[in-house]
Amino acid sequence: MRIPPALRSYTGGQDEVVLEASDLNAMLRALESSFPGIRERVVDEAGTRRPYVNVFVNEELVMTPLGEVALMPGDVVHILPSVAGG
Amino acid sequence: MARAIKKGSVVVSVGTKKGGFIFHSPDRKKWTMAGPYVPGASVYHFILDPRDGRTVYAAAPHGSEPWGPAVYRGRAGESLKTTAHAPKFKDGSGLAVTRVWHLEPGPADDPETIYAGVEPAALFRSEDRGETWGDIDALNYHPTRKDWQPGFGGLCLHSVLVDPRKPRHLLAGISSVGTFESKDGGRTWTTENRGVRAEFMPNKYPEWGQCVHKLAWDGSGDGSIFQQNHCGTYHRGPDGGAWTEVTKGLPSDFGFPIAAHPNQKHTAFVTPLIGGENRVFPKGQMAVWKTANAGKSWRRETKGLPANAFMGVLREGMSADPEDPVGIYVGTNTGQLFASRDEGESWKMIANFLAPILSVNAGVAK
Repeated sequence: MRIPPALRSYTGGQDEVVLEASDLNAMLRALESSFPGIRERVVDEAGTRRPYVNVFVNEELVMTPLGEVALMPGDVVHILPSVAGG
Repeated sequence: MARAIKKGSVVVSVGTKKGGFIFHSPDRKKWTMAGPYVPGASVYHFILDPRDGRTVYAAAPHGSEPWGPAVYRGRAGESLKTTAHAPKFKDGSGLAVTRVWHLEPGPADDPETIYAGVEPAALFRSEDRGETWGDIDALNYHPTRKDWQPGFGGLCLHSVLVDPRKPRHLLAGISSVGTFESKDGGRTWTTENRGVRAEFMPNKYPEWGQCVHKLAWDGSGDGSIFQQNHCGTYHRGPDGGAWTEVTKGLPSDFGFPIAAHPNQKHTAFVTPLIGGENRVFPKGQMAVWKTANAGKSWRRETKGLPANAFMGVLREGMSADPEDPVGIYVGTNTGQLFASRDEGESWKMIANFLAPILSVNAGVAK
């Protein structure tokens, strides 16, 4: 998983972490167990992805609920803020 | 930078739409600015913890908006860091915190405790300086919650009072739901809105649904409280019960902040605006109004405040320091910070060209 600059305060500056998980929700939980507090930056306590936070798997934007996105060994997940500009 | 803030200096922490700033001065004549803290982010509330006079807390999004609400902590004058967790509702509640509006230090003898008022309206308590938070169930899932309606600024819990005499005695103000009170540390709550108008309701005096804008302890220290509401200014005596409307003598019944003199009884300051439909100073004259008799009469103070000033002051935009004579600080939604070192009689602008000011908090560095 590639970690955006705004969240590297949680990972001790690491820009990439390797995790084992079967889907994106499980991946966020695995991330949280290593770096407490980071999950709530991506999803709120109701489990909803925050507006203007995008998740990509192998550079493809995820449009479905995170739990529905299965992961395979070697997948690369990016978390990025959207441009949200105009 | 912390070394630059001398012990005994007055510290004015200012939250703006583009970061937080600290203004500090040993004599309240010459001010030094430090910051920005959390640069670029909307800092909704920025406070110096009066219990140690060194720790500051800020309510702002993590980094920038997309990453959700956060609480920051640090030493005054140094960079701030987000605490481990922001306030959040219980799993399964279906609710999610979108913004932290207000931070309130807990009792003097419990320096680890801090309260947070959030949107959607809820109260949280941390017992470890903001690292983790507990959900105050009896208020946050109050039976009336399903019918709570937001004010223009959202459904927010923006005022928290912790009784310095009895720490289990709490009050909370929610727009536009009204004032709640607990005498058992938050286990049970009562609505406390008797005598408070709600002009936008069919019943002008409902049990709840009033649009409270700010609550402040009366400096009498006997439990009396001031309230600025969307519909008037109020005072409640030491025994609780109904509020007394004290709007008479003010130019309007609308304003946001109310700051009480910390140790002179029945003395408070307000900044009335024209009204909900036009949130600027009447006649374009910035003015602070002062009462020294619990609102029986008001005095308009304008010396040093601008004319042709068609702007306003937001909810957290005024604060009093604990010095003698008391200093009063007002931040405008056009980015000016004004200070009075003579209890409101005369004013001086100490900062201009800030982003719109969201909060002002005054204290003393220890």
